[in-house]
Amino acid sequence: MSNPQVVEVKQSSLQKEEPRIGVYVCHCGLNIAGSVDCENVAKFAATLPNVVISRDNRYTCSDQGQDLIKKDIKEHKLNRVVVASCSPRLHEPTFRRACEEAGLNKYLFEMANIREQCSWVHLYDKQDATEKAKDLVKAAVAKVALLEPATESEVPIIPKALVIGGGVAGIQAALDLADTGYQVYLVEKEPSIGGKMAQIDKTFPTMDCSICILAPKMSDAGRHPNITLLTNSEVQDVKGYIGNFKVKVLKKPRYVTKDCSACGDCSKVCPVIMPNEFDVGLAVRHGIYTPFAQAVPSTYVIGMEHCLNKDGVLKCDKCIKACERKAIDFDMKPETVELEVGTIIVATGADVYDPTSLRNYGYTKFPNVITSLEFERLINAGGPSGGKLLRPSDMKIPETVAFVQCVGSRSDRGHLYCSNICCMNTIKDALLIKEHWPDTKIYVFYVDIRAFGKGFEDLYKRARKEGVIFIRGLPSDIYEERKTHNLWLVGENTLQNDVYKVNVGMVILSVGIEPRRDSDVIQKLLVLSRTNDGFFMEAHPKLRPVDTPTGGVFLAGCAEGPKDIKDSVTQASAAAARAGILMAKGKVTVEAITPKVLPENCKVCGLCTKVCPYNAVVLNKDLKHVEVIEAACAGCGTCGAECPFGALYMRHFTDDQIIAQIDALTEHDADKKIIAFCCNWCAYAGADFAGVSRMQYPTNVRIIRTMCSGRVAPKFVERAFVRGAAAVLVAGCHIGDCHYINANVQTQKRVERLWKKMERLGLNKERLQLLWASAAEGERVASKVREMQSIVQSVTKEEIEKSKKMTEKV
Amino acid sequence: MQTRKPKISKELKEKLLDLEKLKYCFECGICTASCPMMELAPSHYNPRILLETIVLDPEKALTKPDIWLCGWCYRCYERCPQKLKPPEILLLVKTHAVEEGILEGFNEAAKIMGETVALAESCYYVCFHPERTKMRQEDFENVLKKLIKNRNKTKRQKIKPQGEKIAIIGSGPAGLTAAYELAKKGYHVTVFEAYPEIGGMLRYGIPEKRLPRKAVDDDVEYIKGFGVEFKTNTALGKDITFDQLKDEGYKAIFIAVGALKSRKIGCEGEELEGAVCALDFLRDVKSKKTVTIGEKVAVIGGGNVAVDAARTALHGGAKEVTILYRRTREEMPANPWEVKEAEEEGIKLEFLVAPSRILGKDGKVAGLELVRMELGEPDETGRRTPKPVKDSNFTREFDMIILAVGEAVDTSFLPKEIELSDINTIWADPITMETTKEGVFAGGDAVTGPASVMEGIVAGKRAADSIDRYVKGG
Repeated sequence: MSNPQVVEVKQSSLQKEEPRIGVYVCHCGLNIAGSVDCENVAKFAATLPNVVISRDNRYTCSDQGQDLIKKDIKEHKLNRVVVASCSPRLHEPTFRRACEEAGLNKYLFEMANIREQCSWVHLYDKQDATEKAKDLVKAAVAKVALLEPATESEVPIIPKALVIGGGVAGIQAALDLADTGYQVYLVEKEPSIGGKMAQIDKTFPTMDCSICILAPKMSDAGRHPNITLLTNSEVQDVKGYIGNFKVKVLKKPRYVTKDCSACGDCSKVCPVIMPNEFDVGLAVRHGIYTPFAQAVPSTYVIGMEHCLNKDGVLKCDKCIKACERKAIDFDMKPETVELEVGTIIVATGADVYDPTSLRNYGYTKFPNVITSLEFERLINAGGPSGGKLLRPSDMKIPETVAFVQCVGSRSDRGHLYCSNICCMNTIKDALLIKEHWPDTKIYVFYVDIRAFGKGFEDLYKRARKEGVIFIRGLPSDIYEERKTHNLWLVGENTLQNDVYKVNVGMVILSVGIEPRRDSDVIQKLLVLSRTNDGFFMEAHPKLRPVDTPTGGVFLAGCAEGPKDIKDSVTQASAAAARAGILMAKGKVTVEAITPKVLPENCKVCGLCTKVCPYNAVVLNKDLKHVEVIEAACAGCGTCGAECPFGALYMRHFTDDQIIAQIDALTEHDADKKIIAFCCNWCAYAGADFAGVSRMQYPTNVRIIRTMCSGRVAPKFVERAFVRGAAAVLVAGCHIGDCHYINANVQTQKRVERLWKKMERLGLNKERLQLLWASAAEGERVASKVREMQSIVQSVTKEEIEKSKKMTEKV
Repeated sequence: MQTRKPKISKELKEKLLDLEKLKYCFECGICTASCPMMELAPSHYNPRILLETIVLDPEKALTKPDIWLCGWCYRCYERCPQKLKPPEILLLVKTHAVEEGILEGFNEAAKIMGETVALAESCYYVCFHPERTKMRQEDFENVLKKLIKNRNKTKRQKIKPQGEKIAIIGSGPAGLTAAYELAKKGYHVTVFEAYPEIGGMLRYGIPEKRLPRKAVDDDVEYIKGFGVEFKTNTALGKDITFDQLKDEGYKAIFIAVGALKSRKIGCEGEELEGAVCALDFLRDVKSKKTVTIGEKVAVIGGGNVAVDAARTALHGGAKEVTILYRRTREEMPANPWEVKEAEEEGIKLEFLVAPSRILGKDGKVAGLELVRMELGEPDETGRRTPKPVKDSNFTREFDMIILAVGEAVDTSFLPKEIELSDINTIWADPITMETTKEGVFAGGDAVTGPASVMEGIVAGKRAADSIDRYVKGG
């Protein structure tokens, strides 16, 4: 990796120049103007120091809006620009580009977030929302005056990709990238790629044979020159950053070498017999086996946990003797493969809901109550019953069958979300039964049938035409008849207001899908966020639906949320395209927010070196000051917060800039305000999410954005109190979810030290709050602000006066 | 009573919708299908529709009799996908109706109850709980009086037993209801009761404070009025046999013997003086036997019987009563409202503890050795299994231990043809209630294991209908 060019921060000529600031207050239609008096805010901005021009307009982000800024920069010789509109997480790049186009360095631009963090969260309080918007603009103006121009360094991107998960999404993403010409590593936990789609019999709405359309893709992936297949493997460690990830993959031993011809002679002689995972336990397999006929790779595998030789002693050598090609090797050891990739696609899929806990439905208690996935194996010609729908109790084909919908979905007893696929899957399954055994009477018990996709409604109608009976109302209980093992479903037909008692030969619980039970592993490795339902969160639900907040990492398939095969494939191609764009560019610019060392201040104490999560700050004893390794630094700023001497100058988030913001926000009515420091990735994004969701909270909170909560130096908190703030909130990512490895651990330590100090000084430590909130936890942010409101109200004037002297006593 | 225009405040409506998540009801119908009251009075009661009425037009709901017909069995809550608690939603509405002085719905409901359920008076005490609305005692009593008066009118048109002979074993809620329903249909019904008095758990299990003897007496009298014969002190298998019943010409037999066998916990010290089984304790207190109640009482278990025993001990003079349960509040099988009331009375609850030994001194209970539990993975029933935390034993002083770790069905008297369920209760077809022996039906706690009075009544009704079809050859 070449060392990106280090940017020299000079006291530029601009610095000496008097700042000439332009302020643009955006109405965003009525999104902002509906609860903020934008005209008034713009008028107020005009009175602020160094503001040359202040305007309000309907849509600042429109071409006209941007043109106006560009024109003003030239005509009014603006050298700083503030836009008060939406979240910088949304439009900062847009406006920065506009500034650049007008010849202004993009680091001389600042945003005031008066939509997500003001108008949307204070919908019904125009007066206070307007006052808050003025404050936010004032803080932005104060900061922008102190901003300095900077040049970004570039990092090359390794033109290789890692795809995690070998289901249909992972396969598609890998194929697309490989066809584009990139090297792809496809990692799959199971011995074969194929995922859930391989287990399904037919697909809706076209009734295509699932494995028939998947198998060609699987073998394409298996023999593509650009794809390296790593099955039976798990990602263990990920280090690095966009374009330059270092990944460790654990390759578990198969105990069968590539010489295997998949003849199956070994399997025939193996004495170990156990339930077959691929057939959801409805059939058996041997200790040495291939998961299914079309498996890729076709190489057999030994499930060592059940093999007679699991203790490392050769107790049984039947397979070795049976194998003509001598492909069995019990000495195989787990292997760690180290990969260097530029982009990562997460396609880890989903799990199937287990309905055992819904006791009233009798799953596992009554043999003829099965799940929809079990049904897929039963109806599949390659399945344990050769495609005959045999009841587990007596191996007979049932005359009546009932499907129960929303099992584990849309429910507080399972998952609150709709699993998206179960309605159409049931309709498809019902038609399959009708196709094979037309006289079967089929009931579908549902609450809502959601046939929203292309061709779905047609299939639903076809099922009705074929005589499938749809009854609105879920059974409350399923009972079993002792002798026949038939089942009674008791429920209410909610359209007839009548209780039904229906007797059927087999019940299929249409189970939902849920996040992978081990999602947290990948989440931690790649620093992803998860939404409340447990699926991975996209960078933006509408505009960046396959990106993640972590640069260079993309999502595909059910890992992001429940979806059908078509959507999974679509998303996989999208993710491949997004990854491809990055790799085609070959380089990525890194934000100029890394620290600069001011050698004259450095006392070589080494405190900063201890807190840097990346070991990017090092002591240089010869030079008698510390040095920053730019390429390794991610710009969290925790070193700057730790340095007692101001020797680390955090570009774009300098002490002076942040203090200017604090001072601006505390100029008036500080004793009624909460000053909040939020990290860019989680807490600030969470506050944005609260806005998008229109969660209402008190207007007196003022948020200052830092990249990481680790940037929040104790002196910032103290400054807020000295300026008379009623309360201070420090908010960051949950411990373990920090976007800078573990920088937020320093946040915690610093806040705890501050609490102790406050106690020592006789101050109510409740006035300083610490919050961990993820980007999806808008409500957590909102309720924290609500909760702090009572603290604000209880703070007395004396207490405020006391805390104003907080720094004096030290 | 003068009809006032009912009002429901915006706040109350918000509270109803938000607190109880009522706005998330998707109307799947599970509450209705699982509701015993719906099965008893289908033309009068449908919880799903009632909840919808509360959402759309809460004012209208205030005057409806339906809000007064919930029997607090929580079967709906146990199944509701949204975990709504209809009993508590309805309580909010009812309380408001009482505040507004709207009682016509309550009056109307009592009329419906009198016509539908044989054990109407007892039900008012143990199931319907109008007192939870803070209704004036006077209003409650007036309605009950009217109910009894109306009922006695019906009794005068007494039906003379002349039809086929039916035997009912056990005189609890299920047995009594079946007897009443069958007698009304014209059968000659004889109820065999092993104990000296009629009423089963109503008589011997539920504390006087929750169910006065008078209410049970009234209901039994009413049922007797239909020509039902009672033979007390007659236990099946001991005083009378299946063959005898058959020989005497009984066309069908309904077994509703309840679940009266107290389970033991199988730990050391259960034989000590001061260690009693909850059901024995409750029965002795109710039969007015002299019962010694300790000062510091521990009740082990989390079901309704445990709560009843704890409250009885407290009312009987115990200074401190603690319920010890090995799982958490979430898994407690007891009716949540009864638990709440018990706590309000001052009963302490401790979760995730189990006894490992009853400590004794001079042959008397001196305390308990307890062990802390933690919840492991869900077992086959879906409940998380408690597992002891290693080395977490501790002791606590008690002078009385009431064991309420569950009640089992005594099946020793049954002939072999009658098979048992996987939980060792009598197996009966859930729809017809017939056991594996032809002509023999079973229901109530003897089939389901310990359940509510309401569920027992439904079982009796269902069995009566089924026996009627069976005897008529339908």
